[in-house]
Amino acid sequence: MKRILPFLILTFILVSIASGQTARRPTIMVVPSEQYCISRGYSTTFVNEGVEQTIPDYRRAMQSDPDLRLVITKMGGIMADRGFPLKDLEQELRNLERQSAELEMLSSGETGAGIAESPIDRLKRVAQADIILDLDFTINERGPQNWITFNLRGLDAYTANMIAGAAGSGQPSTSAPPDLLLEEAVLSYMDEFNGRLMTHFEDMFRIGRQVSIRVQVWDSAFFDLYDFFNYDGYDMELLDIIEYWIEDNTVEGRYSLTDGSNNFLRFDQVRIPLFTVDPRGRERAMDTRRFVSSLASYLRQNFNIDSHIHQRGLGEAWLILGER
Amino acid sequence: MKSKVFFLTIVAVLIFFGCASRRERQILYSSSYNYEIQPAGVGQDGTKALKVWGYGRSPEDAVKTAKRNAIAASIFQGIPAGPGVGRTPAIVTEHNADVKHAEYFDEFFKVGGRYLSFITLSTDGPPSGRDRVRIERNYYKVGVYVQIMHDNLRRELENAGIARRLDHGF
Repeated sequence: MKRILPFLILTFILVSIASGQTARRPTIMVVPSEQYCISRGYSTTFVNEGVEQTIPDYRRAMQSDPDLRLVITKMGGIMADRGFPLKDLEQELRNLERQSAELEMLSSGETGAGIAESPIDRLKRVAQADIILDLDFTINERGPQNWITFNLRGLDAYTANMIAGAAGSGQPSTSAPPDLLLEEAVLSYMDEFNGRLMTHFEDMFRIGRQVSIRVQVWDSAFFDLYDFFNYDGYDMELLDIIEYWIEDNTVEGRYSLTDGSNNFLRFDQVRIPLFTVDPRGRERAMDTRRFVSSLASYLRQNFNIDSHIHQRGLGEAWLILGER
Repeated sequence: MKSKVFFLTIVAVLIFFGCASRRERQILYSSSYNYEIQPAGVGQDGTKALKVWGYGRSPEDAVKTAKRNAIAASIFQGIPAGPGVGRTPAIVTEHNADVKHAEYFDEFFKVGGRYLSFITLSTDGPPSGRDRVRIERNYYKVGVYVQIMHDNLRRELENAGIARRLDHGF
């Protein structure tokens, strides 16, 4: 028995390690900045309700700019080496096109029914990533000299926070061709950029993932956020009940109630834990949908309020109260 | 007898300070304010081109110290930005990592230790001119150009569990 015990303990430790959860890995995609696309003519102009608007045409930029492709490839190699293979914008756009065509064509073998798709689903069918690497560079010339100005910003796609950045100009050169200078620019600034990204991730593991949550009320609901509900024997406004729940369930109670009315609440800088334990007792990686889903369960169980969760990627979710 | 005691006391004091100074020399690699380093251009993929200074009793000793400083600075301090070159953060970001992993680093930075395998190129001969400064009678400061395998060094420390991977925890 004495011999078996250490073996059992070791087995338990190994199983625990093997089943250890990891946080959800954010997806990263390099996207040329609007300024880059528009200044080089990779854009589309249209009139929206009498106002002329210019939007970047990423597909054309990817198809016709070899410098851009070179920089993205170089960055992709470096990021893959650091454990974050980049989502490729060009492939993502192509995949979306193909996906749209297939969704149009798919039909059930039995009844000929098509795929159910709401306008929101169609709207969501765009290239997405959790962190956007907003890239901009210029090849400068002065006489025989060339040099590169490089600007890379890491943007959290949901909170719109700039979480990392690196920018600067390379050394002017008369002999090196622009493609070599571009490669040099990437090598020069990626370590600095990754250092800042690392700081962001370390912060995230220390004080939770920063997300945004919006609470709305369906117009068919019989209540609004200023209505009173019984909370532990006290009458409290629904708004306060929700805020207390957020405070109790965020890491170190970190959140900011940015705005609100009787119909909506907007919570920004909400720090949610990276892990949670599901009803079956298993540790799971946490995301905004799961966090908001816990709030929805709490409201349903304690106040009989039904709700609908509208997810906006890894970092934002809306809870719409009143019906499912 | 008294003179014997006095003599022994002097010897004990000398031994004590001798050990202390040896210990100081041993921990120099982790001293975060003892590196004089600057980028000497953008290195090839995965490498860093640096100019680094070292001190020693002879120019040859100072060159050896400079090489060690190049690696130690990359690990503990990072490399500052230079003309056309961005800043490179320290590979190890954990506070007091040098103390926590002292055994590993003592082995890594020992004379002829593994740190040398991350230096691919250096101006090995004692430099002359402005890169060779005689500070005292038997004490030199020299500046050498080195190329270090920065990505390999980072990977080595990540695999040893000393540096955090960028995707650590995901």
